[in-house]
Amino acid sequence: MGVREAVSGAERAKVVVEGVSKQFTRRGEALPVLADVDLEVHKGEFLCILGPSGCGKSTLLNIIAGFEKPSTGRVTIEGEVVRGPDPRRVFVFQEYGIFPWASVWDNVALGLRRMTDKGEQHDIVQKTIDLVGLSGFERSYPRELSGGMKQRVEVARALAVSPDVIYMDEPFGALDSLTRLTMRSELIRIWESEEKTILFVTHDVDESIQLAERVVVMSARPGRIADIVEVGLPHPRDLGSPEYGRIKNRLYELLGVEHSV
Amino acid sequence: MVWPFVVIAVALVVHGVSRRWPDLVQQIVMPLGVAAIGVALWQIGCDMSGTDIFPTPWDTVLAFGDIIESDRLLGDSIASLYRVTWGFVLATMCAVPVGLVVGWSTRSFWAMNPIIQGLRPISPIAWIPIAILWFGIGDGAGVFLIFLSSFFPICVGTMAGVRNISLVHQRSAANFGVHGFELMRRVVLPGAMPQIITSLRIALGVAWLVIVAAEMVGMDSGLGYLINDARNMGSRYDLVVATMIVIGLIGIVLDLLIRRLETFEEVKWGYVKQ
Repeated sequence: MGVREAVSGAERAKVVVEGVSKQFTRRGEALPVLADVDLEVHKGEFLCILGPSGCGKSTLLNIIAGFEKPSTGRVTIEGEVVRGPDPRRVFVFQEYGIFPWASVWDNVALGLRRMTDKGEQHDIVQKTIDLVGLSGFERSYPRELSGGMKQRVEVARALAVSPDVIYMDEPFGALDSLTRLTMRSELIRIWESEEKTILFVTHDVDESIQLAERVVVMSARPGRIADIVEVGLPHPRDLGSPEYGRIKNRLYELLGVEHSV
Repeated sequence: MVWPFVVIAVALVVHGVSRRWPDLVQQIVMPLGVAAIGVALWQIGCDMSGTDIFPTPWDTVLAFGDIIESDRLLGDSIASLYRVTWGFVLATMCAVPVGLVVGWSTRSFWAMNPIIQGLRPISPIAWIPIAILWFGIGDGAGVFLIFLSSFFPICVGTMAGVRNISLVHQRSAANFGVHGFELMRRVVLPGAMPQIITSLRIALGVAWLVIVAAEMVGMDSGLGYLINDARNMGSRYDLVVATMIVIGLIGIVLDLLIRRLETFEEVKWGYVKQ
């Protein structure tokens, strides 16, 4: 953290969310989903957005990624207003956004299809597939892979274009708990080596503490930021440490959940 | 009466064999058994009614010799297949692009869908007078009718396939800057492909039904015409039934051929449960 703190706040900001609110209209009735969200994400930061289901955390991420328009407010990335999705910032979906009709190789190569240097393209695709541990499955199709492997393909597809920012919407939600743990530690390994800015939406308190540098806790109806909690523990994180327990208590308290059952 | 004992004996044998070779029984012995029962009922029906017009199974076998010898079978089969092939291929070439565009673009969906849904329920058979008016008696009318009967199932199936493409795939494509023609080729077409293939299968089945009817009414060659001809020339119902069997067999072969499309790696995902 030392070096990063030396840089001033304005320079560090990568993604800036200013006064964003969102409402849907259902049967002529306005339904507020997000109210007045302000947020700054630092360059190279791993930020988790934590909240109960229905708190608008996915909507917030979709607005930041440019898939949905905010009702009020705006999102800027390095000073540039977000008007739609952009290949420099890649979204990893929970329900497998990879194409089932394309092989692992073709899925990972999607963002590199316009590269003229085919040799270099080949090297990047192979390197990325190796990075997520899918060597040997290049010619496989998604339906032949397990849930965890499909999610690795999606992460590889995102990494292949070396994006500045990766958005992840509960990417490991559909996986079993052991696979989820493995995927988390691999994601941290990749984040540490590739220095990406990652915005990660989850409803899992442990997941947010294991991954994030800062956890943005949201409350529901309409969704707003309850507080932002610094984790500040070095990786690999000790799940049994008193500091971990303290943060966990704080997050549960913010979520308003009684967790000592 | 010996029959009850024969039936019981056969049942016992089948039961015994099915325990030892269950696959063999399920896939070969049972279907053949059902077919044999069907043929037996056919024969019994002929015997009991004492008909001299409707052919027995054996009459039908002999009739195959007649139609093969007269060179009609091959020529008429080719005539029917020719019309179906051209009508079907032309319909596919038109219906798939139209379905892709109309399914994808909301604006063209609103513009085109009512017309498509309005024309779709009109039986291709109802078009026969118009087909003959425009193309005369011959291949042109047949190709036109098959085009019509194939176009709507393929177009509607393609539209449905496109509209079923999941939001995450659309967003993935948008995220990686896939637009325009490339979007059609890389996402919309492959995403709709399993349903397109299903609609091709349905359309080909319908086409094979329609061509026989069309040839019976408004053409002077083809398997449908052969059936009509056989009846008109001295009530040769043995030839009628033999031709019907040929029509059924060709239909099965056509379906088997088009089902090969379902085995490609690019579309298998659409047919297996995830």
